[in-house]
Amino acid sequence: MISQFFILSSKGDPLIYKDFRGDSGGRDVAELFYRKLTGLPGDESPVVMVTTGGRRHHEGRHFIHIRHSGLYLVVTTSENVSPFGLLELLSRLATLLGDYCGSLGEGTISRNVALVYELLDEVLDYGYVQTTSTEMLKNFIQTEAVVSKPFSLFDLSSVGLFGAETQQSKVAPSSAASRPVLSSRSDQSRKNEVFLDVVERLSVLIASNGSLLKVDVQGEIRLKSFLPSGSEMRIGLTEEFCVGKSELRGYGPGIRVDEVSFHSSVNLDEFESHRILRLQPPQGELTVMRYQLSDDLPSPLPFRLFPSVQWDRGSGRSTLEPKPESLNVRLHLPLPRGVVSLSQELSSPEQKAELAEGALCWDLPRVQGGSQLSGLFQMDVPRLPGPPSHGLSTSTPPLGLGPTSLSFELPRHTCSGLQVRFLRLSFRPCGNANPHKWVRHLSHSDAYVIRI
Amino acid sequence: MTDPKYFTTNKKREIFELKAELNNEKKEKRKEAGKKVIAAMTVGKDVSSLFPDVVNCMQTDNLELKKLVYHYLMNYDCEDPDPLIRALTVRTMGCIRVDKITEYLCEPLCKCLKDEDPYVWKTAAVCVAKLHDINAQMVEDQGFLDSLRDFIADSNPMVVANAIVALSEISESHQNSNLLDLNSQNINKLLTALNECTEWGQIFILDYDREAQSICEQVTPRLSHANSEVVLSFLELLPKDSDYYNMLLKKLAPPLVTLLSGEPEVQYITLRNINLIVQIRPETLKQEIKAFFVKCNDPIYVKLEKLDIMIRLASQVLAELKEYATEGDVDFVCKAVRAIGQCAIKVEQSAECCTKVNYVVQEAIVVIRDIFRKYPNKYESIIATLCGNLDSLDEPDARAATIWIVGECAERIDNADELLESFLEGFHDESTQVQLTLLTAIVKLFLKKPSETQELVPLTTRYSDNSDLRDRSYIYRCLLSTDPVTAKEIVLSEKPLISEETDLIEPTLLDELICHIGSLASVYHKPPNAFVEGSHGIHRKHLPIHHGSTDAGDSPVGTTTAMNLEQPQVKPSQGDLLGDLLNLDLSSPVNAPQVSSMQMGAVDLQGGGLESLLVGQSFIPSSVPATFAPSPGPAVVSSGPNDLFEFSTGIGMAPGGYVAPKAVWLPAVKAKGLEISGTFTHLQALQHMTDFAIQFNKNSFGVIPSTPLAIHTPLMPNQSIDVSLPLNTVGPVMKMEPLNNLQGAVKNNLDVFYFSWLIPLNVLFVEDGKMEHQVFLATSKDIPNENELQFQVKECHFNADTVSSKFQNNNVYTIAKRNVEGQDMLYQSLKLTNGIWILAELRIQPGNPNYTLSLKCRAPEVSQYIYQVYNSVLKN
Repeated sequence: MISQFFILSSKGDPLIYKDFRGDSGGRDVAELFYRKLTGLPGDESPVVMVTTGGRRHHEGRHFIHIRHSGLYLVVTTSENVSPFGLLELLSRLATLLGDYCGSLGEGTISRNVALVYELLDEVLDYGYVQTTSTEMLKNFIQTEAVVSKPFSLFDLSSVGLFGAETQQSKVAPSSAASRPVLSSRSDQSRKNEVFLDVVERLSVLIASNGSLLKVDVQGEIRLKSFLPSGSEMRIGLTEEFCVGKSELRGYGPGIRVDEVSFHSSVNLDEFESHRILRLQPPQGELTVMRYQLSDDLPSPLPFRLFPSVQWDRGSGRSTLEPKPESLNVRLHLPLPRGVVSLSQELSSPEQKAELAEGALCWDLPRVQGGSQLSGLFQMDVPRLPGPPSHGLSTSTPPLGLGPTSLSFELPRHTCSGLQVRFLRLSFRPCGNANPHKWVRHLSHSDAYVIRI
Repeated sequence: MTDPKYFTTNKKREIFELKAELNNEKKEKRKEAGKKVIAAMTVGKDVSSLFPDVVNCMQTDNLELKKLVYHYLMNYDCEDPDPLIRALTVRTMGCIRVDKITEYLCEPLCKCLKDEDPYVWKTAAVCVAKLHDINAQMVEDQGFLDSLRDFIADSNPMVVANAIVALSEISESHQNSNLLDLNSQNINKLLTALNECTEWGQIFILDYDREAQSICEQVTPRLSHANSEVVLSFLELLPKDSDYYNMLLKKLAPPLVTLLSGEPEVQYITLRNINLIVQIRPETLKQEIKAFFVKCNDPIYVKLEKLDIMIRLASQVLAELKEYATEGDVDFVCKAVRAIGQCAIKVEQSAECCTKVNYVVQEAIVVIRDIFRKYPNKYESIIATLCGNLDSLDEPDARAATIWIVGECAERIDNADELLESFLEGFHDESTQVQLTLLTAIVKLFLKKPSETQELVPLTTRYSDNSDLRDRSYIYRCLLSTDPVTAKEIVLSEKPLISEETDLIEPTLLDELICHIGSLASVYHKPPNAFVEGSHGIHRKHLPIHHGSTDAGDSPVGTTTAMNLEQPQVKPSQGDLLGDLLNLDLSSPVNAPQVSSMQMGAVDLQGGGLESLLVGQSFIPSSVPATFAPSPGPAVVSSGPNDLFEFSTGIGMAPGGYVAPKAVWLPAVKAKGLEISGTFTHLQALQHMTDFAIQFNKNSFGVIPSTPLAIHTPLMPNQSIDVSLPLNTVGPVMKMEPLNNLQGAVKNNLDVFYFSWLIPLNVLFVEDGKMEHQVFLATSKDIPNENELQFQVKECHFNADTVSSKFQNNNVYTIAKRNVEGQDMLYQSLKLTNGIWILAELRIQPGNPNYTLSLKCRAPEVSQYIYQVYNSVLKN
């Protein structure tokens, strides 16, 4: 059972503190947690920590926490319970708080302290979880969320995607998605919105000779619905969508994934025949489907990098070739220790690569699809022992150089090729407006590593 | 009759007065007013309009007044038409942890427990637990426990779940831990609730009575359907000692791997758990190795954990590790290089590849030293590279390692003396570790190449202020000056091997941790009692089960469950308890009669007996469980087998030529002794025989007679006598072909008769051949797979238990029994008199008379004979 729950800001200030069992030493536990966390040696895990020594009532207290949107969500317990359960609870709480307060963040939490406590009261009693369903809790929660600024559909200045952090995909207004599920109780016109995102995370490992060592795509279809609960919707996926290695659909190569799992509320009656998911989502956020794909990517990799290293003048050249249009591309290349100077020659004058923490960072806010960029970096490393003499070519990279990692976002692109064909709502509001539907596709990098 | 009008006005005035008093500045007045309000309330007057004023009074340090206020609040709120408010009241009041409040809590709680709204019930149920924590006696007296028991049957699953929570919470501190009679009726109620309630509620319910077998069965489908996090929570609740659990563990690994795509926090906990599973069953994860490859954006603690697992899965990952060794993070690189070294030590063929890693960081040298120690004289090629890098080393560890290597391989390094000399220059600035190593290295060098080292030996160490150093140098000096040969023996003696896996969890602990997969213990890699104080911990509850209509006898789970019941409650800590249960499961009915077990077919025996009778004329060491008869016959010395057969029938018919079909060669294993009895039949010989003596050749197991042949009276024609000849296994050993061949000779006044016989290996099984569970696992992992041999035992019709007890009687012990996909797997161990252990896995498929036997042994040549034993035992 859970003894306490608290939320700390990124600086360690307590935002929320709740003691469920009265068996603990009071609020300074939160402080103790933060001290312990910051004092932890680099290679130890902060996920689960136990207190030892100190004041007696703090003895044997276990902290389990997650970091979410810069906040620490922490539970403490003094028993040998399942950490999986606790982590699950924490991530559910994060979702809940997001649903009720809009987005989860320091500001929203401190504006909605009363609401958060009310939620906690219903979610946990005496440290036992009662329910974590947004839907069920709606019956009990009285407090309205306080939203920072009024929502306007026409406010397109800052855009983003709930969950994934993009800044420039001009697809849907970000504040639309980061608005509390329940605050719109009185406001009928805003109810009719639904957001559907196909988000893929791409992990790639490319050997120095250019051969692909590992490709891994983790995808999910996420839904955030503001429609009244119980309104049915149908999501049509690409018809050639195949699951597993052997299934064959359509005439082309098909969109193949290795594994799929669905949310328990998804009705799969039409999935086999037409690749249609039917569901009646509750209000709030929901992961409709998760899938993964490894080793066998249908489309070519979004980026190719042609690195070349030359010793004589101590220069490195790399060429970057992105396929689709991409945003916020950052190339990160660790450099040998003791680099004193770096000169660069990039394909476009307004680009700039920077030296930060022993690594080279080349930021590209926007890269056109199909374009090719090149960068020539020369560095001077005084203490480097020089090219190995016997039997190795001069293109062997010096110690400490690389591997290169790329981070990027690819809007309107899925690496697996999966697309949402349509999103149909059976819900007909009594009023005028049709519900607004927002369907977005996005791929972003998880770990895209190219060895040099 | 009261005038209503008067009453109202009166009431109004009264209220007004009370209002004024409640707001009075004096505490005393306020308290008095509070009492009046309560009094009024008690007699049924409506004082609800005073609510704000009463609440105002809450702001007081006067306990009496405070209590009055609470009482007022509870009374009014608990009668509120809105169930949310009624529930809120009990919930909040339960959280005020003051003993004196409880008497006021009692009455409203009573009401709430009889409320009509399930939301109020579920809150009240938890409140009972809260109250019990403050005042257990009251809960008892008020009969709240009965209310909780009634809730179990409620149709609302939330109510059931919370009632269960409350009951289990209370039972932890209650003298009678059996608060809920888990009869079949109650279990059915729970199961109904289980299917309907939220996953959290499911966990509570499972947690409470997870020993009930029927619940385990209900859970099974969930394990395949629900998401993995829930799977783990469920797993945690299952009985840890069941075969079922072990099977699950096997199935669990792949879903665990999919969790690795989650948040780093989840990844970390998953990895910690996988780390445990990997140590027990590496094979289940071999396919998934790619999942453990490190991503560049993993947090360092995840990276380190992945590395740890990869070391355990070793071999294929070497190339990957090589890449890590060139990364930026220092901690990580060091660990990666160390990992390479560990791989080299673990997998011989990869050692070559390891030493070629050209990234010679300091850590690598330390590792190379370890590699050198493990495989001396194998990878000297690297020495040259090493020597070229001496100057760049600044870590004492690495310097010491280099010096060690130079000293160790002095005879292969031409300029060893120069190298060491270069270190000597700065001798006093070095750390003690380097100084000591240098000293030893110089002595080694001196012993190996005395001519070159003369000038190095007069060491300056006598002026050192480090006593260790002075002492060591003193000893060396004495050694060298008095007896260089002894010095050589001592200094250059063989070094103990370094172990393969440096940080393997100790088997007993590992076993315990495996039982706690999915709990905090599995993250800390510490037993729960090391960090959970006292008697809490969710695994502790062991509730007797009334099996009533539930028949527990059939399935393996049921059996273990039943066994569990004998011991609970006695053991203080859960770890011990589980350990005991495990043993319970495995332990054998001790000292079953050994002798009776060898039921041999009389006819076959006779045949065998006659056979040898003819061979040796008089000596019949007819051992032989039935099936040994058709197996390759003994190397006959004196006559051909065909004659043998003809004769044997004839003799069998001959009067007086009867050979007793008795069990001979009985293994009355006492200490290490072994008694073999033979039958002697004297047939149609012309003379009497005297002066018997017997001798055995050297044989594979060192079997020799421990006493002379005890035939003291002359053997007359047509007379037959039985003689027992105790044997033991302390004789000289020589490997025979076949392995169990025993050659011997019997001498009497007429001649010497040679015979040879195959010893059935079962007589050599010793009774301490029962391996500990953990040792079994470790050993079986340790023995290379190529030593595993598979056999088919055909046409057997026993169930696993019969087989198990059959073998038990033959000193073959069943360590564990599992049911895997309908097949029974028996894991058995046995030990031979010469200390060879044999591990066996017997697979019995229902409906298939052919059993599959896999034997693992460090000396695989015995396996064949063990198989023969298995065959013969199973055929009987």
